[in-house]
Amino acid sequence: MAIFFLSMSQKEINDEDARLVHINDPVQTNERFEFSGNSIRTGKYSILTFLPRNLFEQFHRVAYIYFLVIAVLNQLPQLAVFGRGVSILPLAFVLLVTAVKDAYEDYRRHRSDRIENNRLASVLVNDQFQQKKWKNIEVGEIIKIYANETIPCDMVLFSTSDPTGVAYVQTINLDGESNLKTRYAKQETLVKIPEKDKLDGLIKCEKPNRNIYGFQANMEVDGKRLSLGHSIKMRPQRSLKNTAWAVGVAVYAGRETKVMLNSSGAPSKRSRLETHMNLEIIFLSLFLIALCTVVSVCAAVWLRRHRDELDYLPFYRRKNFSDDGEENYNYSGWGLEICFTFLMSVIVFQVMIPISLYISMELVRVGQAYFMVRDTQMYDESSNSRFQCRALNINEDLGQIKYVFSDKTGTLTENKMEFQCASIWGVDYSGGKAISLDQKDVDGKVLRPKMKVKTDPELLQLARNGKETEEGSHVHDFFLALAACNTIVPLIIDSHDPNVKLIDYQGESPDEQALVYAAASYGFMLIERTSGHIMIDIQGERRRFNVLGLHEFDSDRKRMSVILGFPDKSVKVFVKGADTSMFSVVDRYMNKNVIRTTEAHLYSYSSLGLRTLVVGMRDLSTSEFEEWHSAFEVASTALMGRASLLRKVASNIENNLCILGASGIEDKLQQGVPEAIESLRTAGIKVWVLTGDKQETAISIGYSSKLLTSKMTQIIINSRSKESCRKSLEDAVIMSKKLTTISDTTNDTGGTSRAGLTPAALIIDGTSLVYILDSELEESLFQLACDCSVVLCCRVAPLQKAGIVALVKKRTADMTLAIGDGANDVSMIQMADVGVGISGQEGRQAVMASDFAMGQFRFLVPLLLVHGHWNYQRMGYMVLYNFYRNAVFVLVLFWYVLFTCFSLTTAITEWSSVLYSIIYTSLPTIVIGILDKDLSRRSLLKYPQLYGAGQRQECYNKKLFWITMIDTLWQSAVAFFIPLLAYWSSTIDASSIGDLWTLAVVILVNLHLAMDVMRWNWLTHAAIWGSIIATFICVIIIDSLPFLVGYWAIFEIAKTGLFWLCLLAIIVAALIPRFVVKVLYQLYVPSDVQIVRETEKFQTQTESGAVEIELSSILDTPRR
Amino acid sequence: MSSNTPSSSAGGVGSADSAAPRRNSKRPKYSKFTQQELPACKPILTPRWVISAFMLVSIVFIPIGVVSLFASRDVVEIVDRYETACVPANFRNDKVSFIQNETTNKICTRSLTVPKRMKQPIYVYYQLDNFYQNHRRYVKSRSDSQLKDNSSWDDVSSCKPEDDANGMPIVPCGLIAWSLFNDTYNFSLNNQQLAVNKRGISWKSDRDSKFGSDVFPRNFQNGTLIGGKRLDPNVSLSEQEDLIVWMRTAALPTFRKLYGKIERDLQPNEVIQVTLENNYNTYSFNGKKRLVLSTTSWLGGKNDFLGIAYLTVGGLCFFLALSFTVVYLVKPRRLGDPSYLSWNRNPGGH
Repeated sequence: MAIFFLSMSQKEINDEDARLVHINDPVQTNERFEFSGNSIRTGKYSILTFLPRNLFEQFHRVAYIYFLVIAVLNQLPQLAVFGRGVSILPLAFVLLVTAVKDAYEDYRRHRSDRIENNRLASVLVNDQFQQKKWKNIEVGEIIKIYANETIPCDMVLFSTSDPTGVAYVQTINLDGESNLKTRYAKQETLVKIPEKDKLDGLIKCEKPNRNIYGFQANMEVDGKRLSLGHSIKMRPQRSLKNTAWAVGVAVYAGRETKVMLNSSGAPSKRSRLETHMNLEIIFLSLFLIALCTVVSVCAAVWLRRHRDELDYLPFYRRKNFSDDGEENYNYSGWGLEICFTFLMSVIVFQVMIPISLYISMELVRVGQAYFMVRDTQMYDESSNSRFQCRALNINEDLGQIKYVFSDKTGTLTENKMEFQCASIWGVDYSGGKAISLDQKDVDGKVLRPKMKVKTDPELLQLARNGKETEEGSHVHDFFLALAACNTIVPLIIDSHDPNVKLIDYQGESPDEQALVYAAASYGFMLIERTSGHIMIDIQGERRRFNVLGLHEFDSDRKRMSVILGFPDKSVKVFVKGADTSMFSVVDRYMNKNVIRTTEAHLYSYSSLGLRTLVVGMRDLSTSEFEEWHSAFEVASTALMGRASLLRKVASNIENNLCILGASGIEDKLQQGVPEAIESLRTAGIKVWVLTGDKQETAISIGYSSKLLTSKMTQIIINSRSKESCRKSLEDAVIMSKKLTTISDTTNDTGGTSRAGLTPAALIIDGTSLVYILDSELEESLFQLACDCSVVLCCRVAPLQKAGIVALVKKRTADMTLAIGDGANDVSMIQMADVGVGISGQEGRQAVMASDFAMGQFRFLVPLLLVHGHWNYQRMGYMVLYNFYRNAVFVLVLFWYVLFTCFSLTTAITEWSSVLYSIIYTSLPTIVIGILDKDLSRRSLLKYPQLYGAGQRQECYNKKLFWITMIDTLWQSAVAFFIPLLAYWSSTIDASSIGDLWTLAVVILVNLHLAMDVMRWNWLTHAAIWGSIIATFICVIIIDSLPFLVGYWAIFEIAKTGLFWLCLLAIIVAALIPRFVVKVLYQLYVPSDVQIVRETEKFQTQTESGAVEIELSSILDTPRR
Repeated sequence: MSSNTPSSSAGGVGSADSAAPRRNSKRPKYSKFTQQELPACKPILTPRWVISAFMLVSIVFIPIGVVSLFASRDVVEIVDRYETACVPANFRNDKVSFIQNETTNKICTRSLTVPKRMKQPIYVYYQLDNFYQNHRRYVKSRSDSQLKDNSSWDDVSSCKPEDDANGMPIVPCGLIAWSLFNDTYNFSLNNQQLAVNKRGISWKSDRDSKFGSDVFPRNFQNGTLIGGKRLDPNVSLSEQEDLIVWMRTAALPTFRKLYGKIERDLQPNEVIQVTLENNYNTYSFNGKKRLVLSTTSWLGGKNDFLGIAYLTVGGLCFFLALSFTVVYLVKPRRLGDPSYLSWNRNPGGH
């Protein structure tokens, strides 16, 4: 194939990678390639495939395979320890619960699919638009969409009701953004009326891919080749607004649409606690193997010692006389018997590995997520968004975060830009703060920008005066640039007053919006924008400019430009961009003074924390324009590498600019950010800010968000080469060492604290990071960053953000959290252990990649300090408790085996052993795991330091695990040996004592839990006491079945006083050591959590007492 | 939280526009449950609580211990181990052949002296040691359906290796029934027969529901190897109380089974003559056999363990209560004092 095409042009080979769509000819389009139809299927299963697929997916868990193997082993007659049905029950139960959950979720997906697939759209069939179900839409068909309808598939826009070919698309269904996006139809297709003019042509576009923000294609219509940009495409889940209708051709359908390709779901992560837990499960497996080995070795010894008696031993009777020949019954020789004993003991002791733990953890996490989502304190009023839990398996990681990596724009700040000041032609206008009530009269109606901007009266006057003075002409050009050089679309909307219309500027960049609103306030009101021209109302006078070309913003150039044709036939290019990128293309020899003063102004703006943009312009001569135009045409029709070609064309024209001025836009800090950062830092979390902004802006935001304080020593690294990087790093390390030694000496002498320490702040920029990341300098950077209490990285690229996260993640075991709102934070969010997305102004990319999403930065505080703390504490306790709970039971079984010739008889009925982890003890741990609270929200927020409990892994660690296991050993021994000794050489039968053991263990583990519960609400009571009652009921039911051996045993034994005395003795004796240790710990080595719990308890008393104090002022000592 | 965040940008008329989506607000409904603020009791282990708890336990446990110990001491028990004594001296070296020999005289006389007054009913038990009635092979070797219901008399699949003999199913089948204990005891006091009541020694529930009144022994102990007692084929299983007792398999390798009840008081120093037939083969596995005459208390038989256990636990709790009191008096900690918080004790440190 490749050789065949070798002689052909570059472009033709690329056709292989392209998709060919014959317009209005779905038959031909789908002839060669089987493009997918438009029916979507998000459901995973069908009725037929549900069982096999769901089981297959469930058995990806190693634990399930373990239990399956055991259930299968149990089916062998040699090894049948439990009855056939009983042995499958636990696994079947777990599988069933999960399957029901999956089936329900899938049913909901199917239902929404069905609704989607059966929606109607009008499709051109036989030159007439007919209603067609979405699922029947094929690639190549022409579709007409009316206002407020949802777009059924990815399509290329042909024409719209708007004569200029604009369509406005709302993406609220897709990403919750309510602002409108604009899509333009091409002039060439605009004029066609689909019903009459035969529309045919060929679209060549890329194969379906996941890039939401890019689309490359060209179209041949009537022999003309047109390039199609991103702005021409429309995607499903969006709806058409403010446009009566739009016509387009379907290019990607069904699961090939960009939306479907991107809905990959949240990444699956595993929490740290679970990773540790898996290690402990390995310990438990070893312990299980040890138990089984003990049993089989003992059995081996016993069989060997009694080998001569086995034939006639009344309770063994190896010989079978009933058949003709005398043969051994169910005996396969010494060696095999030992093997069987081993396998049987694995079957009997299987619950040592807690199968129910996995399902309990899932349920608990769902419950915790429910409470996080429902938390009114994490609801964002302004965006009407709740907290979102996208990843369900890392809830408890939230309680162990040590590093927070935060984006700045939109995360710390609101990303609502406000024009503050301007520097025009070297003059700073930042004085006035007056709101002008200027209204424009158009067609007898008053037009007003939707948003008011505070204006500088002096500048306003200048702008009104027009171009007469030189100053005035600069101001004119400056605001014209602001009004024109953007991608904003003005929308005229009605207001309450029928005579007043509001202009709403819709656009994807908040900076641009701010600038256009500012220009409007100064009398340069953008009124209309089409792909061909813009209309600007300049001081009440409408002017039309032809838009000859537009170079969109990209992150490499960091600027955008627009080429305007003026009514007087002159052509100008306006450029707007970041200062660094702009000063490199400014004509340095022109107006040196202006450049210098502008630079000074820029510096002062950014140290105020303002975002700065520089505006420049240039007149184009006709030849220059012609040259550019042809280059632009070539570049924009290229199918491959178009982006870079366009970038090159743009760079060629964006040079030798004459600087007009600069603007300062304020990005306000979000509400509560300084307090939130303060809390996080008190909680021992290191906050690193990674931003793409300028260093000065970053530092000033750092100050205003209390990240930086005046006490801090700033270590700034700005290097332009690897060598200088190395040097400044070395210097910085020495400096930070010095700072720490100073603090150490104060520590020694004063004995006070590190409070005297001068904290250091590291400020490093992206260019230096280029040299440091992925080189040997990483290590020293990490050391330095750890010594500094604050790290600010400015001017960093998205991938560098991820690189910094990786730097920390690789070198420490500490948990990292990344929080951001924009597409540039996605890589960082995915890299960190926990990714949090802010659903803000910049679209949903960050949210889609995140594990948790919320509306405001400050919600991080309740999320980590309150919910994280709770989740961690609950989950840690639950895992330990589950280990304990199952181990106690297994050990009781084990002790008994030692008294049955190691033959693995269980006194506890098999039904009870199965129900033990399903009914008897499961509910309380889940309820406690969801509802127990060690501390109230108020205390956790009041003392952020309490968060340290999670960072220090206080609730789940090796030491606790082993202490729990020793306690388990003791408790099981008590539960087993008290009845054993009390009933030794008595008439007790196996079923009765089995019932005693069952009840003893169940009550014991439930009371153990009850002892550790910190908050008793009615649900806790119901779960714990309910479980104990349920156990009694179950035991009674089991013992009421006449075909079981233990018939009536519980009634016989419950009649005796000995039974109840044994129960009481077991529970008290088993719990004493734990109780004593707990009391000693709490009284003499109290943890912070414990102290605050006490404070909480006794302060509510003193608070209620405080009222009395006020009243009588007699009690001056509060009760303790 | 303030409900209306003043949005710095939206001015004048714009706020009316933003009021629209607020109508279908996603704000989570406030309830005590969803905000995790259900009224709850927060127990804290204060020293007072802890000391009272320990005191309470010791106050409850020590009397129970004393009472149980007294109850156990009140029980009069006569235990006579006879498995060696009842083998004639010439067979002592080969007890197994003695017991397996059909022809040897198994009759043996024992005399028991009553140490203290024994009030009726006096329970007669036999006690076996080292007999694993809880062995897996043993406990499984029975057929409950066969015992209950005459129609499933041939359901012997679970009874191996004692399921059928001479090609016919055995009723009752299985190792348990096969190994039925068959020593017999006859008691006489002053040459007068001492009646032993063998009725009502099994559980009523077993007689009524587990062993059928229409099921009769069939083909029992007809195999090559005789395991134990033969049953009267004319008496239904529900009346074969020795079998019913035996088939409630013991939990532990040392166990007693009720043999009968003597329903009269015995006076101190009375001598009971026991004529016993020593049939049961425990010699092949060194099992011990004991004859036990015992009264009962509310706590059952003679067993000091529980009393001692209660006294120990009660005493321990008393000791703990005392030591906690002392420790608390010597080194008290004010509960909930923020100055104990780690960051207050050692600011900035770890």
